[in-house]
Amino acid sequence: MLAPSLLLLLASCQNGEAPPPAATSSGGGGDLAAVMAERGLTEDDVLAAAKTYAPSGKLDDYVIFASGGHGGNIIVIGVPSMRILKYISVFGPEPWQGYGYGGLSDDVLYTQGAQGGKEISWGDVHHPNLSETAGDYDGNFLFVNDKANARVAVVDLKDMMTKQIVANPLVMSDHGGAFVTPNTDYVVETSQYAAPLGNEYATIDKYQTDYRGAAVFWKFDKTKGRIDEAASWAVELPPYAQDLADAGKLGSDGFVYINSWDTEMSAGSEGKGKPFMESGASQNDMDYLHIIDWKKGEALVAAGKTKVIKGMRVIPLDVAAAEHVLTFVGEPKSPHGCDVTPDGSAVVVGGKLDTHTTLYDTAKMKDLIAKGQFTGKDPYGVDILDFQSAIRGQKEIGLGPLHTVYDDKGYAYTSVFLDSTVVKWNYKNLDEPTESLGVQYNIGHITAAEGDTVSPDGHYVVAMNKMSQDRFTNMGPLLPQNFQLIDTSGPTMKVIADMPIGLGEPHYAQMIKADKLHTITAYTPPGINPYTDQKSEFAVASGEERIVRNGKKVDVYMSVIRSHFTPDNIEVNQGDEVTIHLTSLEQALDQTHGFAVDMYNINVSMEPGKYEEITFKADRAGVFPFYCTEFCSALHLEMMGYLLVKPEGA
Amino acid sequence: MSGSIAEKIRAFERGRRRAVVLLGVLAAACFVASFFLPWWNFQLFAPQYPKGLTLVIHLTGVEGDAAEIDTINHYIGMHSLADSALLERAASHWIVGATAGLVVAAVLLAGRKLNWLGLAIGMGLPLGFVADTTYWMYRSGHDLDKRAPIHLKPFMPAVIGDGKVGQFLTQAWPAWGFWLAILGVVLLGVATWQRNRVCRVCPRHATCGALCPHTVLGNPA
Repeated sequence: MLAPSLLLLLASCQNGEAPPPAATSSGGGGDLAAVMAERGLTEDDVLAAAKTYAPSGKLDDYVIFASGGHGGNIIVIGVPSMRILKYISVFGPEPWQGYGYGGLSDDVLYTQGAQGGKEISWGDVHHPNLSETAGDYDGNFLFVNDKANARVAVVDLKDMMTKQIVANPLVMSDHGGAFVTPNTDYVVETSQYAAPLGNEYATIDKYQTDYRGAAVFWKFDKTKGRIDEAASWAVELPPYAQDLADAGKLGSDGFVYINSWDTEMSAGSEGKGKPFMESGASQNDMDYLHIIDWKKGEALVAAGKTKVIKGMRVIPLDVAAAEHVLTFVGEPKSPHGCDVTPDGSAVVVGGKLDTHTTLYDTAKMKDLIAKGQFTGKDPYGVDILDFQSAIRGQKEIGLGPLHTVYDDKGYAYTSVFLDSTVVKWNYKNLDEPTESLGVQYNIGHITAAEGDTVSPDGHYVVAMNKMSQDRFTNMGPLLPQNFQLIDTSGPTMKVIADMPIGLGEPHYAQMIKADKLHTITAYTPPGINPYTDQKSEFAVASGEERIVRNGKKVDVYMSVIRSHFTPDNIEVNQGDEVTIHLTSLEQALDQTHGFAVDMYNINVSMEPGKYEEITFKADRAGVFPFYCTEFCSALHLEMMGYLLVKPEGA
Repeated sequence: MSGSIAEKIRAFERGRRRAVVLLGVLAAACFVASFFLPWWNFQLFAPQYPKGLTLVIHLTGVEGDAAEIDTINHYIGMHSLADSALLERAASHWIVGATAGLVVAAVLLAGRKLNWLGLAIGMGLPLGFVADTTYWMYRSGHDLDKRAPIHLKPFMPAVIGDGKVGQFLTQAWPAWGFWLAILGVVLLGVATWQRNRVCRVCPRHATCGALCPHTVLGNPA
């Protein structure tokens, strides 16, 4: 209906006439021309709507995994419809998914996620990275880092659940993570704010001698789908406030590039009248792009040339420098963004305080290191490459260039924070003029369809704007961020949809072709523990439900199916240690139940076939209804039971 | 009548006798093969099941969305499909085996007066299946648990064609296994017809009783 009307309108406007009354009506009241007039829509608006509108049942072509920032979650978004499909809790409890409320997820969130014995119930998710095979997304896993508490999480994309959190024992905050090497051998996590490694104490005046950064190479076991902490290792780095990172690919596979912004080692005002970090860190004209030869690092680790800090093998800074596991090259001061081109031949670094992006030639740098051609050393003995010899060129982009993503035609798209633009430029031909598109407002990260793989898809770019200002109805002083979908398939870029993000503050995002995901609809056979992918030995089939008492320990083996829990009455004594083993006997699509015990802070989600396990002390006496929290069926309200906790001495 | 013509008639009769046995063996093979195939399909449609639910009936049990159908059916107090026709399912391989064996034996051994026996045994399989399925469908719609959350008047589900139960539209139709059994019956029908012709020209026609004294493969002369 829409297309013929649109053609009619376009034709009529070319004739310079007012749109005629629309000949077609689309049901539900009104015709296109009248609706356009009433809502003040232009043809461009209607065209954008046609490119992004998803009628009921029409599925999206791409899926974005966006970090939720200090929301601690991942936001999953369909493209081009820009609809939220899901959010995945990672570092914070979230009741809908039953994450962190008494079930098996408590182990991931609170036990694995603890830092230095301290339970942490939030995180600052920065950079989601999809697992790769040969430099291309394989749709199996997603890794994210927590800047605030230096942790990395593994999300299993088959059920979109956080399956593992590893707590970095060395550093106190991270930023350059979680980036994967082209075959997901390693998930790289680099520190941001320097501190003594391993949470030691040192006064701020020992900043240069005792404070350090580190790049941790978390070894990923692809068969188990988990990080192998014992097989992981790190490289000690100077206290330069390391920033974003990316792994080399194709010709540059084997290298990781990390930028930095405080080679001044300003360490803040120290309360002694020194400038704040923002000025102190911006005094030098150049900071250092770190070039890490991780394959050489791996060999050094195998050869035992490491020290062990808090259980982790660390290549000491002097060894890393001497062996050229670590080499520097200058970069315009306080840069941001560090993005390897799809062909692996260059690293693009955004100027942030400089109007250029700089293209470092990965082959030239490799060659210079191999030939030992250096211009000097930093105070820690790390060799420095000559800037001009290492670069392919620089491109004038605008004020505040940050991150860069790529399409399939040789173009780069750089986010420009201060100008609030996306700038398109040809990274293979720096003489070609740039194209600039205004976005609303203050773009931070940027993502493109498979735009950081060896084979970007083109067509879509999303501007991840930090501010939305006047774009949406005001909901109070805490404003949402604004994602803008940009159509790059035509001769000029065009914003075709805005999307408020009101549940977190995204940093990076990645966009994968939807058909690369292999999600499940149920755990089969019933009784699968999602954290082991095996059928639990405590799972029950229909008829096997029971309550087993052993002293003060009570095990409840419960089945869950429409619309009842079996057993539906649990009688225990105050002080008993109770474990409820839940098995969903469902296999049907979308037949999820919940299990919540009132007043006990217990709530788990029971997707079809899932096994869950809740352990708690029945310390409060009384009668506590438990019920299904997910509206599962017509008799959902009736899906309940009682936990009866008999008072002591009664 | 010349000798060559008589010879030709004898040859034709020999061929006919062999064909009868072959048809009987093929019919038995159809029955055996049908054992491994689904016999009946039910499909249920409701708004919340856009792809529908499928129930595939094998002689040995039910497949498809049987568990989901059981889950829904418990609301109206229907017994589990998994608990239906247990005896028939357990005995199904014996029943099919015996049917195939008896059909072959009947084609080989039955005399003129029992010529119909093979066909009757063969027909028993699909007819028995339909009767048994109808019985269990009747039971499932009538023997409802009184304590079920939703009380329905006893009803007869549609065993073939379209029906309606609650919000579900149902469709039922025979599957490959059933059609293969029907093919077996047709083959037996042809065999019986041709066997009748064989017996009519058999020299022992007059004295033949329940058993064929020399079997159809033997020399009638």
